[in-house]
Amino acid sequence: MDFRLGEKELALKEEIRKFAKAELPPDLVRNTVIDGEFRDFEFEISMSRKLAQRGWLVMSWPEKYGGRSASLLEQTIYEMEIAYWGIPGAWMGISGTQWVGPCLMMFGTEEQREKYLPLIASGQKDGVWCTGYSEPNAGSDFANIRTRALRDGDDYIINGQKVWTSVAHRARWCWLAVRTNPNAAKKHHGISIFIVDMKSPGVTVNPILNYYGRHHFNEVFFDNVRVPASNLVGEENKGWYYLMQSLAFERRSIAPTTYGNLKRILEELARYAGQTEYEGQPLSKNPVVRGKLADLAIDLEVLKMFAFQLAWRISQGQIPVYESSRNKIMGDDLMRQGAITGADILGMYSQVDPDSEWAKLNGAIQGAYLGFPGQAIAAGTAEIEKSIIAQFRLGLPKSY
Amino acid sequence: MDFSFTEEQDMLRMSAKDFLAKECPKARVREMAKDERGYDPQVWDHMAELGWMGLVLPEEYGGMGASFMDLAILMEEMGRNILPGPFFSTVALCALPILEYGSSEQKTKFLPQIAKGEAIWTFGLVESSGKYKASEVKLRAVLKGTNYVLQGHKLFVTDAHIADYILIAGRTGEGERPEDGVTLFILDARGPNVKMEAIPTVGGDRQFKVSFDRVAVPGDHILGRIDKGWDTVDFILQRAAVLKCAEMCGACQAVLDMTSSYAKERIQFDRPIGSFQAIQHKLADMLIDVEAVQYLLYQAAWGVSVGSPSRWQISAAKAKANEAYQRICIEAIAAHGAIGYSLDHDVGLYYRRVKAAQFAAGDTDLHREVIGIELGL
Repeated sequence: MDFRLGEKELALKEEIRKFAKAELPPDLVRNTVIDGEFRDFEFEISMSRKLAQRGWLVMSWPEKYGGRSASLLEQTIYEMEIAYWGIPGAWMGISGTQWVGPCLMMFGTEEQREKYLPLIASGQKDGVWCTGYSEPNAGSDFANIRTRALRDGDDYIINGQKVWTSVAHRARWCWLAVRTNPNAAKKHHGISIFIVDMKSPGVTVNPILNYYGRHHFNEVFFDNVRVPASNLVGEENKGWYYLMQSLAFERRSIAPTTYGNLKRILEELARYAGQTEYEGQPLSKNPVVRGKLADLAIDLEVLKMFAFQLAWRISQGQIPVYESSRNKIMGDDLMRQGAITGADILGMYSQVDPDSEWAKLNGAIQGAYLGFPGQAIAAGTAEIEKSIIAQFRLGLPKSY
Repeated sequence: MDFSFTEEQDMLRMSAKDFLAKECPKARVREMAKDERGYDPQVWDHMAELGWMGLVLPEEYGGMGASFMDLAILMEEMGRNILPGPFFSTVALCALPILEYGSSEQKTKFLPQIAKGEAIWTFGLVESSGKYKASEVKLRAVLKGTNYVLQGHKLFVTDAHIADYILIAGRTGEGERPEDGVTLFILDARGPNVKMEAIPTVGGDRQFKVSFDRVAVPGDHILGRIDKGWDTVDFILQRAAVLKCAEMCGACQAVLDMTSSYAKERIQFDRPIGSFQAIQHKLADMLIDVEAVQYLLYQAAWGVSVGSPSRWQISAAKAKANEAYQRICIEAIAAHGAIGYSLDHDVGLYYRRVKAAQFAAGDTDLHREVIGIELGL
């Protein structure tokens, strides 16, 4: 065993720190993922382009697609640091860098890779993706999707509805899960993935505001949307397998991102507690405050080790079975713990509008507090993730 | 970064598993909990033959020259089987500080005995408050001629009744900080005026109140420096925290394994209870706890192994293990139902050992406070 970071990783951390100091406002910037309604899309995409110019945006991709074949460990450090500094624009519409690109490299045609990957890798607006998975009747029971794709000559015609589609209003492309065989013996076996141009006739995007009024989600309607057959990803009716892989990619990145974000929040809270007077002494001398912050620090250490262990395991050529689910649960639990701890420490100020001048720590705690329940649902609820661990790691019988 | 064990470490773990499965079945654990001595000297001798007591000691003292990480792996397996006996007190609490702080004379005299399994050691630190704080070291040690005279008592001294030697933290002076003026003495455990009184505990281990009534200790029977003994205590507690964490980690895995097996076998409502999500999710939570302890343990043990122990990593590991071990046992008993509450079931053996393990080398509050200080609070 060896838990040292190499010179490469340490240098990368330092470079990102300098980048953040130079490119971002000095205050704590809120978690762009959890709080990311992409309000300032122009700024965000300008940061994407800068990240691309630095060779970071898709660092783990091969050179021919715009990356530099960085190790997964480097990628993990990058994700931690990006989140620590709150650098926006790293995800290319949440989906692009995180799973669309990696899945196209695994399952796409060469033509698809050459067309779509450079758009993502260079940080352009035309490289922004959304992902069409959930439907009104397909949440945790994801295989229940009903959006249909019917073959028609050289095209497919798509009809149906997606919901909770993050940043569809900014996306140029949709990574879309549809049903191609409604008669398959198991519903998992009739699913395919398509690349859909969001500018296609028949695509309608309606905003859904979350409970604090932010526009992150959408519902997306597909009304006789014609898509060339060359936009099918991999084989027809094998989509479930690609979906599971995409979710594994998505769940993997949650631990490093949450770690970076909460590490910053922990440090800011420690500083805040040291500077805030209460009953004649700094709040940081209060044993309850000390205990809560220490607990957060201890669990963050766990999340860090989980993130590195998963990255290491994948880098060894092993296919993780349950670790992504483990990390997702741990990350979500900690986001909750961090948000609640932070709110407890801010006291009455934790109810202040995060955009208000009354907000402490630039509204980061309120952002986390309002956002964590949503993050905990995305990419699989805790209940789904725990069932995955029970079945695939502990070998317990299937429960649904 | 590398999360893999070496081939030698895998072999060490396998041989420890084999040995303990044979020599330390649960029937033996139960028997030893009632035994006067609390351990099986034959098993102890076999362990010495395998080189376990001297695992991390250099070859010149009869040891194997292995790493601290290797010792952690071995103790993880001991914890998995709840091996009774004075290994922790002898090796973790005493052999390691003798190697680090002992004079060459002390090392030459004491370490080979330990490596051969010929000497049992223990460490007396806490007093009536039951806290690992320098300010609580009140046992007086007054220099009279060439001897120190010890007056006072120590509580919760493990395996004192079978120990040949006891390390005792005594107060030789007062300084600016409570840490100043603490000195570690090496005592003949069977010497005159050393009185032992058993403290009955729920864990099946052996703990004692050890009282010292004008016990004379020659001035050269000191480990480390006079008045600077707290440095040695700190050294001991850091390593002991990691190694206790290793035992707890093994125990956590054993409890998870037995609960997971039970959930697959136990039929209610015509199906295994492990098919119910209420049970599945409990077990998934237990698994996450187990792996949290594992990786924090390995990180902390690795730090010690490469000569850069980190207070942050060590305290994170022990604090996590303290809470996770307790939680895992409680959830495991719940998943078992009434059978988990019975004397004959093994899960109770683990639960009864939670408290002793939590307090050894620092309870959760102590380690939280270390983390708080490291956070700059």
